[in-house]
Amino acid sequence: MAKFVAVLLAAGLWALPAMAGVEDNPQWLALGHYRPQLTGGVESTVDTPNFFLSPEGKSNPKAELEATVALFNEGTDIAKMCVFPARYKFLRAQGLTKTEFPECKEYEEFRHDLRPAGVTLLFTDAYMNNPSSLFGHTLMRIDTSRKGTQLLAHGVNYGAFTAGQENSVLFAVWGLTGGFYGGFTVKPYYDIINTYNNLENRDIWEYNLNLTSEELDMFVAHLWEVGQTQTRYYFFTENCSYMLMEVLDAVRPSLKLADDFPVQAIPLDTIKAVTNRPGLVKSVNYRPSRQSKIRYRFKQMNEKQKKAYYEAILNQNWELAGLEESEKADVLETAYQYVQYQYVAKDLELKEYRRRSFQSLKARSRIDGAPHFAEHDNGRPPEAGHDSMRAVIGIGNRNGEAFQEVQFRPAYHSLTDDNYGFLRGAEINFLNTTLRHYDNRNKTVLQKLDLVGIKSLSPADLMFMPTSYTIMADIERVYNPQTEKEGYAFNLKVGGGLTYALTDEIWVYAMNSLYGSYGGFLPHNQWAGIGFAGGVYADFGRWRLLAEAEKVFATSHFAESMKYSAEASFSLSRNTALAASYKYQVNYGHNLDEFMTSLRFYF
Amino acid sequence: MKKLYLASALAAVMTLSSNAMAIDSTGCGLGSMAWRGQSGTAPQVLAVTTNGSFGTQTFGISSGTSGCDQNGRITGGTQRMVLNFLENNMEQYALDASRGEGETLDTLAGIMEVDKNELAAKVHDNFAFIFPNDNVDAVEVTLNLFKVMNA
Repeated sequence: MAKFVAVLLAAGLWALPAMAGVEDNPQWLALGHYRPQLTGGVESTVDTPNFFLSPEGKSNPKAELEATVALFNEGTDIAKMCVFPARYKFLRAQGLTKTEFPECKEYEEFRHDLRPAGVTLLFTDAYMNNPSSLFGHTLMRIDTSRKGTQLLAHGVNYGAFTAGQENSVLFAVWGLTGGFYGGFTVKPYYDIINTYNNLENRDIWEYNLNLTSEELDMFVAHLWEVGQTQTRYYFFTENCSYMLMEVLDAVRPSLKLADDFPVQAIPLDTIKAVTNRPGLVKSVNYRPSRQSKIRYRFKQMNEKQKKAYYEAILNQNWELAGLEESEKADVLETAYQYVQYQYVAKDLELKEYRRRSFQSLKARSRIDGAPHFAEHDNGRPPEAGHDSMRAVIGIGNRNGEAFQEVQFRPAYHSLTDDNYGFLRGAEINFLNTTLRHYDNRNKTVLQKLDLVGIKSLSPADLMFMPTSYTIMADIERVYNPQTEKEGYAFNLKVGGGLTYALTDEIWVYAMNSLYGSYGGFLPHNQWAGIGFAGGVYADFGRWRLLAEAEKVFATSHFAESMKYSAEASFSLSRNTALAASYKYQVNYGHNLDEFMTSLRFYF
Repeated sequence: MKKLYLASALAAVMTLSSNAMAIDSTGCGLGSMAWRGQSGTAPQVLAVTTNGSFGTQTFGISSGTSGCDQNGRITGGTQRMVLNFLENNMEQYALDASRGEGETLDTLAGIMEVDKNELAAKVHDNFAFIFPNDNVDAVEVTLNLFKVMNA
């Protein structure tokens, strides 16, 4: 009780008069992660109670400010004071406390290990092998003033603590609905590089931020504060990328980055928000994945080198016959990188892996002063790609009946969208909704709702043998030629196959899919099927073409069909494109013939 | 003469220990780092306790732990820092050393406070000494690097 009174007194005597209005200071609100609520008022994004000094702290910035001022002006609870170095900096700057910040051993050690020199925002490419990484990922790097390179810097990652749940059926459910807590972890940057570049073969983009030294101090101090807390993790909204926006806002409130993401925070969009803030990004650096590096080096080889390279990696013939000494160096280096790739892909046993690694490098080390390949090209910066949301307006004709169509897609990228800045061959569509108006019937219908549509075309060659795959779930308005009626069915499609690159621009693929369909409208309410498809995907940058033929065998005559489809698109600008599509489908002795031209807008 | 005996005895011990390690595990030679940090999914970090009391939660730098059996061979702060870096970056370091340039060499030069061109030239010329065989571990590589730089 005495303590309570002392706190009140302390707060009252030293702080209250000057405190008026400070609780509405944007930096105070940002430091507390207070966000406006639909119901009025504010609430903090942070969920663990240890982030709040006042019992009402989560939704009352004023009470929290008073409690924080009291904590520092009382100056006795060192342990608690040591948790809030950023709030202290703020209070001090506002003239709300004169207390000296205590000596905090752990915090000082943390700062000493980091030796901060700057902040870099990192974006990693989509990882098609994992549903939770389809949209890419963002994290931060605290640049270091240590001598040498930024390999000794530290990466800061905000992620969900999933603790062994990742194979459970409920993983996705918890991930979407806030069933997991998220928190911050700090690791050496070389570990981050190893994980993304070398294990998952994802490119990393580094955006070095233009922060003042006070802002840098504030960043580290605030990271320390939120590092002790946890927040409910929502895959689409309060996710890895969103939390980093709130942290940057706490450092420089005028950025108002979190305001840009009231609904969904797609990693790429947060990168765009940051690169769009004037003067915020100092420089951009591209750090390609191991696979990208191998491919780029291979491209630079002459025919003799390519032949010798394949001899080495495929037939273990390391003579590199026919090559000049100076031509060998790059072949050996590339072969070594490929051996590393194989080992991670579990294509090599440790013993053999070590033998090959050693052999290639021993030979490489005997060559002096050889000219060498460029390590990588400039890459295609992700922030230069089209925006994530898409609207389409189109006119078309189905079996002689004219229609108008509108589509809206919250995220993210189709194969026929301009893929500049995106992972090539990776299609990810969420909740694409199609409404159609048919002229003859003068009727507007929900034509299709794509719940999820993922297609990954990844060319296989002598070096890499990735599986191409497709997963689609949608609700579609289907036509029954027998009854001449239309109704809704839920469709599921899962398929796998192989893609082969004829040239850099033209790929062909074969895909084998399983189908399931369910709906009261269907004969017998359901059908299952199997499809064999062959397709061509051409991508010449400004224009793209996807054409496919598929034969479907099904348990119901209704679904037995032969389908042909083609879709082409031409970019008018970064965020607009023209498209045309054609579908021809033969089933049940009935043909479906559909043509549409459309305009696509990205925003 | 005495010195030579000592050196060969030391070398014998080193070879023994590194061979012993290579037999039963990946130890800390080439390839031992390949799986570190492999998450597969979104960052999976071991759950930190979620109770709300102050000071009980851990937040700090989770740096990679060593798979290396140091056997008391590593002495001094700089050697330890070099070992810590090398055991986490062996694959890239081996490549950079063989060609005499790269980010890991620049980093090592920073840690050891030596000129980076000098270090790059020396490790390239002495690659076969630093990496005598394919089972060499990070401790041995560290010691060999110091020998080369101090020669």
